[in-house]
Amino acid sequence: MAIKTFRGGAHPPEKKDRSGGLAIERIGDVKRVFIPVNQHFGAPIKPIVAVGDAVKRGQKIADGNGMMTVPLHASIAGVVKKIEPRLLCNNQEGPCIVIEAQEGVAGDEFMAPLDAFSCTKEEALERIRAAGIIGMGGAGFPTHVKLAPSKPISLVIANGAECEPYLTIDERTMIERPEDVVEGLAITMKIVGAPEGVIAVEQNKARAVPLLEKAISASPRTRDGMKMRVQVLKTKYPQGGEKMLITALTGKEVPSGGLPMDVGCVVDNVGTLCAIVEAFRDGKPLIERGLTLSGGACTKPANVVVPVGTLVSDLVAAGAAQVNEDGLRKVVFGGPMMGVAVPNYEIPVQKNTSGVLFMGKEEVRPAEEEPCIRCGRCMRACGCSLSPALLAVAIETNNYKEAEKIGLMDCIECGSCSFVCPAHRQLVQKFRLGKQVLRTMKQKEKEAQNA
Amino acid sequence: MPDKPEKRLHLSSSPHIYSPVSVSSLMLSVVLALIPSTIYGIYLYGIFALASVLVSVATAVIGEYLFRKIIKASTTITDGSAIVTGMLVALIVPPKTPLWMVALGSLFAIIVVKEFFGGLGSNPFNPALAARAFLLMSFPAAMTTWTMPKGLVVHADALTSASKLADATAAATSQVADAVSTATPLGLLHGHYTIAQIAQYYGASSTGDFYKQLFLGFRPGSMGESSILLILLGGLLLLSLGVIQWIIPVSVIGSTFVFAWILGLDPVFTILTGGVVFAAFFMATDYVTRPLTPLGQVLYGVGIGLIIVIIREFGGYPEGVTYAILIMNIITPYLNKLKTKKYGYVAPPKPVKAVKGASK
Repeated sequence: MAIKTFRGGAHPPEKKDRSGGLAIERIGDVKRVFIPVNQHFGAPIKPIVAVGDAVKRGQKIADGNGMMTVPLHASIAGVVKKIEPRLLCNNQEGPCIVIEAQEGVAGDEFMAPLDAFSCTKEEALERIRAAGIIGMGGAGFPTHVKLAPSKPISLVIANGAECEPYLTIDERTMIERPEDVVEGLAITMKIVGAPEGVIAVEQNKARAVPLLEKAISASPRTRDGMKMRVQVLKTKYPQGGEKMLITALTGKEVPSGGLPMDVGCVVDNVGTLCAIVEAFRDGKPLIERGLTLSGGACTKPANVVVPVGTLVSDLVAAGAAQVNEDGLRKVVFGGPMMGVAVPNYEIPVQKNTSGVLFMGKEEVRPAEEEPCIRCGRCMRACGCSLSPALLAVAIETNNYKEAEKIGLMDCIECGSCSFVCPAHRQLVQKFRLGKQVLRTMKQKEKEAQNA
Repeated sequence: MPDKPEKRLHLSSSPHIYSPVSVSSLMLSVVLALIPSTIYGIYLYGIFALASVLVSVATAVIGEYLFRKIIKASTTITDGSAIVTGMLVALIVPPKTPLWMVALGSLFAIIVVKEFFGGLGSNPFNPALAARAFLLMSFPAAMTTWTMPKGLVVHADALTSASKLADATAAATSQVADAVSTATPLGLLHGHYTIAQIAQYYGASSTGDFYKQLFLGFRPGSMGESSILLILLGGLLLLSLGVIQWIIPVSVIGSTFVFAWILGLDPVFTILTGGVVFAAFFMATDYVTRPLTPLGQVLYGVGIGLIIVIIREFGGYPEGVTYAILIMNIITPYLNKLKTKKYGYVAPPKPVKAVKGASK
């Protein structure tokens, strides 16, 4: 089987051997959770429980109206202690529902199982929404919206590329739960009516491939005639980016400003697919997730499954991972390429937290920007074929018109340009700010026109 | 947690890891790639050549340090670019150029061509080549006086016996009469000698033999351009380390070859003589002054090749590489507009021609 990939990209050190061989550990006895109310990409929702209420595990505790919302569920059984704003992993404060375990309050409140292959499409989408499922790879886009595309879908891609260094939770999920990944892919294909499904795996996770292939051939869906296969991709960052993945697999490019459905694709993270399976088979909402705890200052890394809302500090205190406090310089939610650095780790795990990294002194280099020497490395690394060096000049000179023309809004913010820059230019950082400035400018223009 | 860790934690926007390649490591690779040619130059021209390189590098580094001290700017000599510029200046001037002249060239390159424009990354012209052009105009005699490399014996009778133009013969023989000075192959070609005569002059038994001699590096010229083999060795090192890409060297050498052939010159002789190969790997690839985009780089290389051949065939100088690159440096900002197609770029729909009467 030919190994596929996309044009451009970078090769950050993989660092996956630190946790890739460790089985996923279930952290069961979490005594308190701080569940952020709004974890999804979309309109905010409101709590439907009050302080003092006893809640069961899986009970709905917040919901909202509108297409771009998903409900929220209690991830442990207990009593609602507080509803208060807290610092979240995006470095902003947001409301959290604090639940503490209490004697006498126990039990699960799941939905009734539902057969994804005999129910209607509407029932299936409603189940996925009711289970509070959002994209677990990072962005947190509501899955029921993604699975109701307005264009015909020919390919569903299970994203097992996991191109971020350090993170191994997707790899472990594919190794430990290949049947669920395949079943989730089949359910997704059924919902969107796609004739083909592909599980995309980077080469450095090749040991998952035979397990997935075995699961595909043993799956009753294959016997029913569903077409699924595994595709190995070159280990290269950002191979797991939606656009890069689609191009590597199909050769098609998602049009500028468009969505995967414009080229007939739907991409779902393997973790999301497992959550979909649980929502149908067990009626279980998305109340826990797997994540990798690793990093240079993490002396004992781990892959763990924890209730959504667990504080990372509680995980460390419970010994799920060991951290060298003296060497610790940075805590990152997500991977080292796109994750968010946070000021402390008393921050809850969310539905879209794929890992928490404890990074050490030797990794965190406070690099000073030097002048651009125009070596062109950023351009060769850009998966979107942009010219970061020239984009940066346009932004630095406040020439936003030029920046937009040469593709500022097409940037996926993967950070490859900043990673490869020998002058340590803060390229992607400038583009993030530049995109916001451009959006604000457009908004103002629109308002001026309407006024 | 009793003690709050947040005091020690860095906050910054992602990415949180960086490639170990830095500006100074890139410059160090270029220095390494220049070392084979430099050592060979020292072998050919003796201890004076070593002094020339050392003086040039020292002047460049100290000049940059002092200039930035005077204008109260940050010290940048650790980036290594001054070392590269210093080496390049010494390698592209005649081997026995007076040391003060080399030092002046180096200072010109660093201060006038680079620092006056804002330092590394901001200079529109290649510093070493601009310095060479400056020296050539200021000291035309010294900059065209070539020294016989160690062990090379020339046969002056090859030129006198069959010479066609009395002037050229006189000029060449007066050079040859001097035991130290000699003429470069390109200089002789410019003096209207045939390649067969030139080959004979340098003691080669045939044209093919002469090409081999040129390739291995046994002819008068500047230190850097002596041995094509050693230049290629350095160039391949840079290519394999990913410091440079193949587009520019290939387009410069390839287009020089093709244009020479079109104009009826000997294409092999054209690329083996003068600074074509050296410049293709070490000058035209200068990050700051070459275009960034692949298409821009192809056109840049082709433009250089074209100008080299035009100057050699029609110009007043025997060699045209320096001016070819300097001229193309001017066009670089325009060539940067030739961008690669963006990912997912969709061409805007062509405006439909308005049908008469249908516009309302």
